[in-house]
Amino acid sequence: MIGLYSLLFLFRDDPAPGLRHSKAESRRLDCTWLDDHAASARRPGQVTTAPPSGDSVERSVMLCAERLLAPGVRSEGDEAVLRELQALTNGIAASASSRFPDLANSTWLVEAFHPSALVSAKLIFAAKNALSAWGMAVSDRLPTLAVGDAGVLTSLAPLSAYPAACARFAASGSLRPTDALLTLVHLDSRETILHAGICVNGAWSWLQ
Amino acid sequence: MTALLVVLALVSPGQAAPSLGDAERAELERARAEVADQIQLSAYDLVDELVAGWLRAPLFGQPTPVVLGGVTVPVGLGTGFAALVENHLSQVLIQNPSTNLELVYCPACSAVVVHSGPEATVIARGIDQPSVLDQLGADAGRHALFVDIEAEGAWLVLRARLTRLTPDLPVVWSYTLASSASSPALLRQPQMLKSAEDAHHEYEQTLRARGPVYIPARFGIRSYAEPSGNGTNPPPFLWLQTGLELGTTEARAWTSSVLLGYSIVPQAYQGLMLQARLHRLLTGRARSLTRPNLYGFIGGAVFTVWGAATAPFNDDNALNADALIAALEGETPRSRFGGLHLGLDLRVGERMGYSVFLETMPALRNNNNFGAYAQFGLPFQCLGIEVGFWF
Repeated sequence: MIGLYSLLFLFRDDPAPGLRHSKAESRRLDCTWLDDHAASARRPGQVTTAPPSGDSVERSVMLCAERLLAPGVRSEGDEAVLRELQALTNGIAASASSRFPDLANSTWLVEAFHPSALVSAKLIFAAKNALSAWGMAVSDRLPTLAVGDAGVLTSLAPLSAYPAACARFAASGSLRPTDALLTLVHLDSRETILHAGICVNGAWSWLQ
Repeated sequence: MTALLVVLALVSPGQAAPSLGDAERAELERARAEVADQIQLSAYDLVDELVAGWLRAPLFGQPTPVVLGGVTVPVGLGTGFAALVENHLSQVLIQNPSTNLELVYCPACSAVVVHSGPEATVIARGIDQPSVLDQLGADAGRHALFVDIEAEGAWLVLRARLTRLTPDLPVVWSYTLASSASSPALLRQPQMLKSAEDAHHEYEQTLRARGPVYIPARFGIRSYAEPSGNGTNPPPFLWLQTGLELGTTEARAWTSSVLLGYSIVPQAYQGLMLQARLHRLLTGRARSLTRPNLYGFIGGAVFTVWGAATAPFNDDNALNADALIAALEGETPRSRFGGLHLGLDLRVGERMGYSVFLETMPALRNNNNFGAYAQFGLPFQCLGIEVGFWF
């Protein structure tokens, strides 16, 4: 009986590392818990749902799919941001919308600072779409600074540089009173999270 | 302010990537090429879905020139993949003019333009400086389309936005669409583009349009077990059957069929049969449209057979010389009997089926010309296999 019970665990399709999957294989999976109806909609015919009259079985389903890009194809830092790009940018847009309701009629500009220029471009694109999805007016304009300003600001610590840059954007007229600038920042190469700040009328505030 | 304007760069450059050996670099390129091959069709699917959305709800009321501002692909997959996606997008847009998006060529839009004015000298792409485009006379496109595809875990995500090329560069439309890595590509034809939802609906309607009544046509062979004693079992009977099959619901978990059959081998036998069956789906509560369905069935049949080779059905004792002489004198043997059967029916693609069954003929249970393939209270003297087609 114990043997049969062990076999149940040995042969069930569990994505966790074990006899059937190595750690490397398990790490390549992207898994989500869903209820049986949501899982059936996602994988028609593969998940058995409870009958309409109900039964005594409580079901939940973990759906797993292999990640599109194998480990090593891009750097761990880039992968950490890109893997969660939609959730990260949507969360930031939701947070901006709820914390700054008075900016609902502003025009939102987006910029991003990440060690990788490609990842920065991805962050900007995703953030603009996320803000649009929240009903905000978005523009492709970017605020600019004079060379002298840039020379001073790059010598400051990041936590001081961003508020100072915000003030210069407003003072130079590059950022209009009706504009709100959302800045996504990757402050430390060891981080896997993004910071975000908002610049309005020369005043800087960290969103997260 | 006459200073040169530059975009602020506040972060320190990232650490230099560790140098890779030739073998590692080759392996990385191989892995990238493999991934690009795998996700190419999914990326095309997302582009098709994007354009199908414009077909359903065009962004513009009349044909409008649009510059393709840029197509970017997952970080790590290179520009070759971007060119493939860009070409596919252009192809689908050209073949679907009712989207009202007319791609136009605008070299000044994608070129890096240096503009020096009284306020500043700006170095940027033309598409980011609409006022400079105006001065260059590049007014072919008043909107720019940007498309980005990114691999996010197991999801391939397409983002698109349309920007009006005025000094304020407002984003006038944006769209985000995701596709799971486990979803098969739809391989749509660009000429008759349909959304994934419409294609699935049409597929279901096509299947359901066949209605609750099917007309099956079956070819079957009934083979009779050899007797253990001196009897002579009849030869295998070949049957052609057709009739009606009805399902109780769309799920077709239960179906019933009534078939008429005819059998002939010249100089040996002929026969007619009437057969009724009740089928139960064993693989799930509803038939699958995409995978094989296995049914179990029970049924009954009545047969009338005649011809020289049907003598074993007539005689409940071993075939003897008298019976053979009677047959030679022109007395054609004729027999009527019934049978009960049970078996399995595997149906593939809703068009073909393969079944195997065992049949017992209670009236012939003491006939010495028959053996038994199995005993379940009654001897099952007959083994049948069939190939069926449904119309």
